[in-house]
Amino acid sequence: MKRHVISVLAPDRVGIVKSITTAITNLGGNIDGMSQTVVHGYFTIILTATFNKTLIQDEIREAILAQFDENDASVIVRPFEESLETRCHEEHERYILTITGKDRPGILKTLTTYLYESNINIEDYYFTIQGEHVTHIGEITIPRELDIKQLQGELQTLLSSIDLIATLQHENIFRATSEIYSIRQLLKGKS
Amino acid sequence: MRRIDDILNTVRMFEEENLDVRTVTMGINIDECSCENIERTSLSVYKKILSCARDLVSVCNNLTTKYGIPIINKRLAISPASRLLEGRNEADAIHLAHALDRAAADVHVDLIGGFTALVHKGMTDGEALLIRSLPNVLAKTQRLCSSINVGTTKAGMNVDAIRIVSDTILEIAQATKDKNGFGCAKLVVFTNIPEDNPFMAGAFLGAGEASCVINVGVSGPGVVKRAVERLIKDSPDVTLDEIAEEIKHTAFRVTRTGELIGREVATKLGVQFGVLDLSLAPTPKVGDSVGEIYQAMGIEKIGAPGTTAAVALLNDAVKKGGIFASSSVGGLSGAFLPVMEDHALAEAVKNGSLTLEKLEAMTAVCSVGLDMFLLPGDVDASTLCGIIMDEAAIGIANNKTTAVRVIPVPGKKEGEYVDFGGLFGAGTVTNVVSPDGSKAFTQRGGHIPAPINSLKN
Repeated sequence: MKRHVISVLAPDRVGIVKSITTAITNLGGNIDGMSQTVVHGYFTIILTATFNKTLIQDEIREAILAQFDENDASVIVRPFEESLETRCHEEHERYILTITGKDRPGILKTLTTYLYESNINIEDYYFTIQGEHVTHIGEITIPRELDIKQLQGELQTLLSSIDLIATLQHENIFRATSEIYSIRQLLKGKS
Repeated sequence: MRRIDDILNTVRMFEEENLDVRTVTMGINIDECSCENIERTSLSVYKKILSCARDLVSVCNNLTTKYGIPIINKRLAISPASRLLEGRNEADAIHLAHALDRAAADVHVDLIGGFTALVHKGMTDGEALLIRSLPNVLAKTQRLCSSINVGTTKAGMNVDAIRIVSDTILEIAQATKDKNGFGCAKLVVFTNIPEDNPFMAGAFLGAGEASCVINVGVSGPGVVKRAVERLIKDSPDVTLDEIAEEIKHTAFRVTRTGELIGREVATKLGVQFGVLDLSLAPTPKVGDSVGEIYQAMGIEKIGAPGTTAAVALLNDAVKKGGIFASSSVGGLSGAFLPVMEDHALAEAVKNGSLTLEKLEAMTAVCSVGLDMFLLPGDVDASTLCGIIMDEAAIGIANNKTTAVRVIPVPGKKEGEYVDFGGLFGAGTVTNVVSPDGSKAFTQRGGHIPAPINSLKN
């Protein structure tokens, strides 16, 4: 049994996920993790799969590329590192960062530099633009030892200097208002 | 990945629509504090409150930071103080009241409720003493609030007690005449008083409760109003059942925020979580008004025919959303109608579209009763008695909580304006339609028996 992490980038079309999952299944793989999105017409997917036989990375890559026209897709295959998944999340808490205001170059550079220097990891990030107005939403993990009030203050100061409004709230408030699990389950970390 | 709309809707509720946790109220049973003399009793009560509530405010403040939810008030509700006043005198009652007030100040909460007497069937000496002491107590303390239960569906209505309370309200108004009778704003006269209500001035800890418990009150009229407005903007011909559905969904979201906060506060303090009370409690701020919800639904003049139906729709939808959101819903849970604290209701009283009599009808289908209503300073006790009896009758007959918190304003006449400031708001003095018209009836006193529970038509 061997687990791999696989990433694919290609122009979007109907049936891409079917093509990729067919290739993996035909190789004896079981997909056990996946995230996929489309940005401005470009499809991207990251998934993990465990195969019932030992395969070299190029075998998997070639099987997926065979589902696309020549030079149409980029595929990366790497061995899965178990140590990454087991990295202790008990030392972190998950927060939602929202930023709204007028779009301008450099927002992400300013923000991500601050997050990097504060040892805060971005786990998911997306934004939408309507006219000149931009909304960023980041799902970030913050080390427990950091002072949230101080972070909120610093983020607000940093982003208000470029006319943006930032809020930083623990993810549970969004789960509470949008999911139907009982609050008790939610506080126990179940989903 | 979460839906962007869900995240932005939640952020908007806090940033733009005034959603907040209105109160985290810690209930504390002080029955064990009774000692042979009042000095030791008061000291014991003070120590008990400090030992339970010392960290309440700091824990709440930390959660405000974590979740970005304002927790507006942190409060205390004790078991009925009248139980510690049996065999005591009025000086003892004032001594105890000062100890409670000092304890509340020292743990940095804004109000403490539970200077309470439950007299729906009869009155002990301690309860009579508590009521007698109220003019002095409410005039001389800052944070202490009082409640008196004068009727229940099972016991009927104690009219003798209501007569005493009516006289007492006038005395409280006189004792606090330099503040326009503000002492009366700290007293609620209940029927079917809830034992777990976190909202003031009527919060107390009932006999069936744990020795220390966290109850949470969530508000959010602004969120509901904006939800109704958005619905109507998107679909101008929307029907009332669709409005009810939208309110229900919104109430669900609001309720969940309260339970999240309440459970975390209780866990961090190591005490039991009690109930979550979703009550649309307005503040005088524009955009945080229950009256604006009725206006958003299409009631142009609050008090016009149809208003009672609008209150019933809102109250029911809020309860249904809350019940689905949490199995720990309790307290009052519904829509409040505190006239002075809601600028749209206050304006309706000022312009004459909302009278006390129409408000009384609305209280038959809202979650509480006649609340924060200004009366002329020369209103007589029998009129007050009649107002309380009418409200109690609505509660008893309908098996629901009702309450009266009216303020006779010394020296003020109908039409004059009074401003208490802060969350207590401002309003216009109004009179009843027929003052002095029921003296012979109310003066008979006695007890109105419990209602029949069959043949309900």
